[in-house]
Amino acid sequence: MNKLTRMIVVLTVIGLISGGILAGVYQWSLPKIKANQVRATDEAVFKVVPGVKSYRSIEHDDLTYFKCFDKNGKWVGTAILCQGNGYQGEIKLMVGVNADFTRFTGMTILEQVETPGLGAKIAEKSFEDQFRGLAARPPIEYVKGVAPEKPHQIQAITGATISSRAVVNIINKTVEEWLKAK
Amino acid sequence: MDLLIIFISAAVVNNFVLIYFLGICPFLGVSNKLEKAFSMGLAATFVMVLAALVTWLINNLILIPFGLPFLQYVSFIIVIASLVQFVEMFIRKMSPTLYRALGIFLPLITTNCAILGMALLAALRDYNFIQSVVFGFAAGIGFTLALLIMAGIREELEMAPIPEPFKGAPITLIIAGLLALAFMGFAGLISG
Amino acid sequence: MAEGKVKRNLVFEFTKGLWGENPVFRQLLGMCPTLAVTTSSVNGFSMGMATSFVLICSSTIISLIRKLIPNQVRIASYIVVIATFVTMADLFLKGNFPDISKALGPFVPLIVVNCIILGRAEAYASKHTPLQALVDALGMGVGFTLALTVLGTIREILGSGTLFGVLNFEPWVVMILPGGAFITLGLLIGLLNFIKERTGKPASAPACPID
Repeated sequence: MNKLTRMIVVLTVIGLISGGILAGVYQWSLPKIKANQVRATDEAVFKVVPGVKSYRSIEHDDLTYFKCFDKNGKWVGTAILCQGNGYQGEIKLMVGVNADFTRFTGMTILEQVETPGLGAKIAEKSFEDQFRGLAARPPIEYVKGVAPEKPHQIQAITGATISSRAVVNIINKTVEEWLKAK
Repeated sequence: MDLLIIFISAAVVNNFVLIYFLGICPFLGVSNKLEKAFSMGLAATFVMVLAALVTWLINNLILIPFGLPFLQYVSFIIVIASLVQFVEMFIRKMSPTLYRALGIFLPLITTNCAILGMALLAALRDYNFIQSVVFGFAAGIGFTLALLIMAGIREELEMAPIPEPFKGAPITLIIAGLLALAFMGFAGLISG
Repeated sequence: MAEGKVKRNLVFEFTKGLWGENPVFRQLLGMCPTLAVTTSSVNGFSMGMATSFVLICSSTIISLIRKLIPNQVRIASYIVVIATFVTMADLFLKGNFPDISKALGPFVPLIVVNCIILGRAEAYASKHTPLQALVDALGMGVGFTLALTVLGTIREILGSGTLFGVLNFEPWVVMILPGGAFITLGLLIGLLNFIKERTGKPASAPACPID
């Protein structure tokens, strides 16, 4: 076997073995990975729409949302996946609205890379809780330094206005898209 | 507009070296002279653009349609290693002067985590073809920028009385830390 | 090429990776993950473990097949072997430890280009017996994990005020950020160089091995 042939054979064999092993490992781990993803979505949906027992996911262009039903099968609300640019990077969150779309039922941050100790506080319970019962119309706003006066306002985090504003903008934008789509 | 955001984000706001920690090895090794830094940056940017292009093709024409996402790391790194080989051969033939200037840096680029990191990020964010190429280019520019700034500072420092244990890597890292802090000032440039 | 010419004892092959030839502090390899994922002791430790897994497996396999690989394609072959183990580690983490997988992020696949692994393959595994390669990889892996855990612990205590999650004191946020990472590592290496200088050994210098 001359040199070139040997080189090609060795590389091909290694490539094939590698491909085979990886295909096997992939098949073995795929169910677990999928289960993890479902569990993460479950957690988020259950967190933002209280009383939900089951949900149906609907995708529309770039928009993903979940119609939520209680144990009797009644439609209790919708969880909407939102994402957009924050201060340091992308923010991904899930927001819940009630069935007649008058109020938000909750919000949870899924992914964020904001400044620890400042912007990262958007993932803290005190900020997320502000969205529970928040009026859904007109589009929500934020206020700085004072307690919110109107039912559709939240208070921005001190020292993290941009991150707070990003969350508000992301929610408003995605909700507009959802209203058009549903 | 979208492309401009990708460019500014990758080159400055989320600078590959100072914020994402990619490409540190060459950053430490090659940033002591401005010409070396520039050559390395140039070579890396060139490879990055090609890598962005080819990995996008492989990912979207082969891996995804055939359901082979688990071959992503293996195929990407092979692409990068091969690209570097070809680029080296090409430059050696086409321009011996250019080869003398950048040639020795090329093999080092294979293990430059910035290249693989860029390719993986572009795939993760599902950029389309144009976006990937812009991203690769921007990442390269950002890398070059970080290297040039560091080289400029280190050249100035050559005359400074640095304690012996801190010469070389330690002082470079500390300076990099200060630069990283400075670059954080760019955050918020692209927020919604 | 002389094969493992001096049969240094296996204990030495293991311990050199911990201090004298510590991959992070002395050889200055694997800088990227060292800076990026050491935001907490758990993250640093997990990354160390994942890298050690890839290092040990690939060094052993490469040593086993070293006589079968033609010289010109050796780097390419090593890379494929390494990338295979990295993919395995990544899939394993995604399936069984999704939170850690998310925390380490893209740095798990970047283990492929971690100079430590390719460096040990080229400099050692390809020239020694599988047992020696395994022990060497073990030592380097432990040394790397130690370095990352130490760095992660420092940054976690100072940056988040916690240790393995238990709250401590008012944090310096900068430690969690890139700036803090660079500065901490720089100070640590400077300190170690200082110690080495006192004991008469040379300072750390980059050792990335490609060509």
